[in-house]
Amino acid sequence: MFYRTAGQFKTSYSADQALFPVRQDAVLLIVILAFAWIIFPLTASEFTFQTLLIPILIYSLAALGLNILTGYAGQLSLGTGAFMGVGAYACYKMVTLMPWMNPIVAILLSGVFSAGIGVVFGIPSLRIKGFYLAIATLAAQFFLVWLFEKWAWLYNYNASGAIQVPNLDMFGVYVAGPQATSFTQYYVVLAIVSLLTWVCINLTRGRPGRTWKATRDMDIAAELIGIDLMRSKLTAFAVSSYIVGVAGALFVFMWRGAAEPNLFDIPLSFRILFIAIIGGLGSVLGNYLGAILIVGLPVVLGIVPEALGLEITSATVEHLNVMIVGGLIIFFLIIEPHGLAQLWRLIREKLIIWPFPH
Amino acid sequence: MRMTAKLLAAAVVAAVAGSTASAESIYAPNLSYRTGPFAATGIPLMNGQKDYIDMLNARDGGIGGVTVDFDECETGYSTEKGVECYEKTKGKAIVTQPWSTGITLQVLPKTNVDEIPILAPGYGFSPMADGKVFKWAFNAPSSYWDGASMILQYIDSQDGLKGKKIAFLHLDHPFGKEPLPFLEKKAAEQGFELVPIPVGLKEMQNQSAQWLQIRRERPDYVVMWGWGAMNAGAITEAVKTKFPMDHFIGVWWSGHDADLDLVGEEGKGYKSISWSFPELDAPVMADIKKYVVDPGNSQSNEKEMQGVFYGRGLVISMILAEGIKAAQDHFGTAAIDATQLRWGLENLDVTEERLAELGMTGMVPPFKTSCSDHTGHSGGWMLEWDGAKFVKVSDLLKPETDAIAALEVEKAKEYADANAPWPMNDDCN
Repeated sequence: MFYRTAGQFKTSYSADQALFPVRQDAVLLIVILAFAWIIFPLTASEFTFQTLLIPILIYSLAALGLNILTGYAGQLSLGTGAFMGVGAYACYKMVTLMPWMNPIVAILLSGVFSAGIGVVFGIPSLRIKGFYLAIATLAAQFFLVWLFEKWAWLYNYNASGAIQVPNLDMFGVYVAGPQATSFTQYYVVLAIVSLLTWVCINLTRGRPGRTWKATRDMDIAAELIGIDLMRSKLTAFAVSSYIVGVAGALFVFMWRGAAEPNLFDIPLSFRILFIAIIGGLGSVLGNYLGAILIVGLPVVLGIVPEALGLEITSATVEHLNVMIVGGLIIFFLIIEPHGLAQLWRLIREKLIIWPFPH
Repeated sequence: MRMTAKLLAAAVVAAVAGSTASAESIYAPNLSYRTGPFAATGIPLMNGQKDYIDMLNARDGGIGGVTVDFDECETGYSTEKGVECYEKTKGKAIVTQPWSTGITLQVLPKTNVDEIPILAPGYGFSPMADGKVFKWAFNAPSSYWDGASMILQYIDSQDGLKGKKIAFLHLDHPFGKEPLPFLEKKAAEQGFELVPIPVGLKEMQNQSAQWLQIRRERPDYVVMWGWGAMNAGAITEAVKTKFPMDHFIGVWWSGHDADLDLVGEEGKGYKSISWSFPELDAPVMADIKKYVVDPGNSQSNEKEMQGVFYGRGLVISMILAEGIKAAQDHFGTAAIDATQLRWGLENLDVTEERLAELGMTGMVPPFKTSCSDHTGHSGGWMLEWDGAKFVKVSDLLKPETDAIAALEVEKAKEYADANAPWPMNDDCN
């Protein structure tokens, strides 16, 4: 009923290969974008911006970056947190050394640094695979966090060893730092996330994406049909680290406002890996669904008892929250090991043939 | 008939009481951490804070006639959750009690915009003392630099500082690095050698490398800025390597009874500087027992209530309560708001007489805050572990306020410059 494809005829190959061969998908996307661009920002409270909207977008972007590497190119990485850190510190150094720089340009440029570091740590992937590669990226994780702690130049010799986001303005409006409003920050994050998602969709559907998938599915076969493995793996590392680095810069500049080195430690890497796995490896949509589940759900669960007027101490709520979220993760992984994106794919297929299943 | 009348009367009373309670209460949330890796140290503090306010509500009907709605928002010591709690509570809260250096750092610049006071007793950023720059932040009664100053004075009074070697064992984290600028300055001035030994967050429980370095360096004293699992790790390691415990001094967050219980007798002589002390005979303890523990409203237990951290929790809530009271008296209104509480916290005057009135003599040194001094620099006592509990082993030690104030102004200015445009409090001189 909602997904009737009857009457939607394709008359050319390009129409058949379009991003949305089914018109309803396009409509759905427009509705989601309308919510994200117009309805949410107009209705959201400060709390919603700071605990739901902005973090979900930023985490989705970080997971998207990881998904390019792990989901599309098949290279397991445990260094996402550290690469986010590279982006954040690069952005911090740029805006403090060159205060005239446009903050959005700085954020987008900071990804270049993490891409460079990502490629360097991606070189071992040419020789080692699977779990062994994961361990090599783990080395990056430990090394980089250690560097953030020890290299005082990175945090401008600040006594506390933490970086603090200064007030940055763009055309007279503060976009980062304590003076910036959540409303502006949300739009900056949304614009960057939308742009990079669009780029990623095109990349993964185009030639680079196809070579990545070929590398993932069977690297020897890919090499035999003429794919340059080195190029394929290193571009995957570069693109992935670029996106992760931008996500890291957004993470600190548009949301946290301050960061200490251990923020980028391994728990962050795991968190993003969980988002990517639960959302669905090898999918763009999955990152958003995963982030909503991992980042958004605990916040929503936390306010339920109070909204219902239940007398539970906040420590108990927190314990319950951890248990419920943990249970849900296991539940989703059992009913759909390929992630929430696959779950949505199946639902959509069922809807298309509904009410007459074969 | 009489029954119905009674019921009716009770209902009316309840309704009146209910309506006044909802209209006249002050919302004071606490960003607590009863879960997560630091819960063991958090729980006694949170219990102390909560029990003191509960006691005021039960005994006096709150402060100045209004009840204090003391709410906890659980952070598990995570900065992310902390910010969530801050956003959740800031709408109607009159105060933020952030409880972790990470959350404090993040919330500090926001409070200027949201106009809500931060109360961080004995933690946070030492330059917060400069009220001209940090209009909304308070770290009464003592800052970390005060603590460092008092520890150095104590060492000086024991063996003299000149030519000594002092190892500074600290958590490699903003909290642990906090006293470094002051210690470095004093090392240059007073001619002792400072050896900073950082402990990474991942190495807290296994400090063998750090203690090997201590054995090699042979310092005269070890000064520790530790928190959570790091304290227990350091103390057991010190016992294992036979470091003389009476030359081992921690900051106030390193003086947790449970950490020392692990080593018991062998920890004898270990010291911790502290601006609070659990006076078990103090009248306030009797009141808490009568109004909170006996009716079964406390989450604490007898052993915990004898500890240093529970007592400190009481003092922290006392500071908040005194701030509320000062604001009520000044503005002549019972239901104060955040701006009025800021005034109250800035004009705290906790004298010896006032402490006696509160039944808290000896639990905290007297202190006084002002517009330019948001810390109060109360001073503190050196506590020593006698094998079963902490006892006072010094008279009241006072920090060198002049040396600290100069550094505070300098570092506060650096902070303001780095965060320009930063609103200054120009009413303050």
